[in-house]
Amino acid sequence: MNAITSALWQRRPQTSVRIVDAHAHAGPYSLFFIPEASPGAMVRVMDRCGVAHAVISSHLAIQLDAAAGNAATAEAVERAPDRFTGYLTINPWQDPGGELAKWGADPLFGGIKLHPDLHDYPLTGRRYAGVWEFAQRTGCPVLTHTYDGSPYNDLAAVDAVASEHPDVVIIAGHAGATPLGIERAIEVAQRRPGVILEVCGSFNTGPDIARMVRELGAGRVVYGSDFPFIDLRISLGRVIFSGLAEGDQAAVLGATMTRLLQWRSGLG
Amino acid sequence: MLIDADAMLGRYPRRDVGTGSITEALARMDRFGIAEAVVSHTLSWLHDPATGNRELLGLVAGHSRLRPCWVLLPGTCGETGTPDEFVTGALEGGVCAVRAYPADHGYDLAGRDCAAMLAAVAEAGLPLLVDAAQTGWAAVESVAGAHPKLRVVVGAIGYRQLRQAAGVLSRTGNVYLGLANLSSHCGLEWLVERYGERRLVFGTGAPLRDPAEAVTRLLWAELDDAAVAAIGAGTLLELLPVGAA
Repeated sequence: MNAITSALWQRRPQTSVRIVDAHAHAGPYSLFFIPEASPGAMVRVMDRCGVAHAVISSHLAIQLDAAAGNAATAEAVERAPDRFTGYLTINPWQDPGGELAKWGADPLFGGIKLHPDLHDYPLTGRRYAGVWEFAQRTGCPVLTHTYDGSPYNDLAAVDAVASEHPDVVIIAGHAGATPLGIERAIEVAQRRPGVILEVCGSFNTGPDIARMVRELGAGRVVYGSDFPFIDLRISLGRVIFSGLAEGDQAAVLGATMTRLLQWRSGLG
Repeated sequence: MLIDADAMLGRYPRRDVGTGSITEALARMDRFGIAEAVVSHTLSWLHDPATGNRELLGLVAGHSRLRPCWVLLPGTCGETGTPDEFVTGALEGGVCAVRAYPADHGYDLAGRDCAAMLAAVAEAGLPLLVDAAQTGWAAVESVAGAHPKLRVVVGAIGYRQLRQAAGVLSRTGNVYLGLANLSSHCGLEWLVERYGERRLVFGTGAPLRDPAEAVTRLLWAELDDAAVAAIGAGTLLELLPVGAA
């Protein structure tokens, strides 16, 4: 039992590690009911568990309207800048260049979010060219949804963009999502040093996370939850019980993502 | 105390989840602070229910922390005996719950073929465990209505089914939800507020699911200790057949 699981068994928030949720959203989602989807309720859940910070893209941005949704993300971050950083959602069909121009220099945003599956557009498509150029130039990390077998964002697509843009930090959201996807995500990350695996989803496990760290190193794996799409505690539990060494666990839970969000300080 | 109402022994063919042995199950329970588990066998699910049910009793004999759970089939082909033979064998073997796989075993849980078996299970006081992916909510509601003495625990509802689950919970008194992969954001607290903690049953889905999910979800819930205790063990103990708790 370590300090985090000890806090869990005592039913108090953990305070021993800075936890940063690398994959979060905010707001309602039409496909299913989310009881409390507001940023305020998200902060309350973070406080319950001892999660310091979350990087968010509003559900409105990924599901329907990038412009209105990015504004909603910005508003949530402005209200709680110590708890949230924004992902700028780029929808390839909704003025991707305009959104990048509008928000790219805004420190409310610390990363870019792509969701090829929701936008019916391949990760390798040329409408994302501006994203890769921006990320290459600035060091801004790019979180993309991934899912094994998808025509838009399977691991082969991640492999292709990582090969074409080797200096870009690409966070593979869900790390392929399925057992086979996780297997393939590890293989791609071994080939492409710029690829970071993010661990949320419905099928990942602590042993999978431990294997990712064994095969890639703790600096290549980040904790994310997908909340409020999925409850934050599901993915968090997997990491804290995964049996990682203390330093590795701290890296996965927050230290690596904290470092990846520092890119603006290097822009001069 | 935690009692896992949703665990399994046996091999699994579609991902590496270990050997499915008793030794692994007990070690996993120790690691997650789980006192007891209701276990079924993958043989009963993915090969032959009758054989799996028989083997399960031999496997858990002498292991007081493991409570056997049989898999039912409709009585139409006599594979697990008549309904009366099935429940008599179950109770004599110390079985404390039964599980159904209507989707994977090719029958309609709410259809006429299964009615006699469900009636016998209800009469025996055995709770019925079924994962959401194995049947529809309409079937769950229909079965609960047709067999008011039957307690139906729907597991693995994921994060997309609260709309359907809420309606059925509102209209029935004998449908419960399992905690394995109950993963709607703030869903557990919302369900407890609306329906009470006595409609929720702790379960992990192990070894297919990581028990860390359900344990963390419950212990860091925004619920008081009494509610956590009820969900962790109390509700299940009330659902077990007379004498089994």
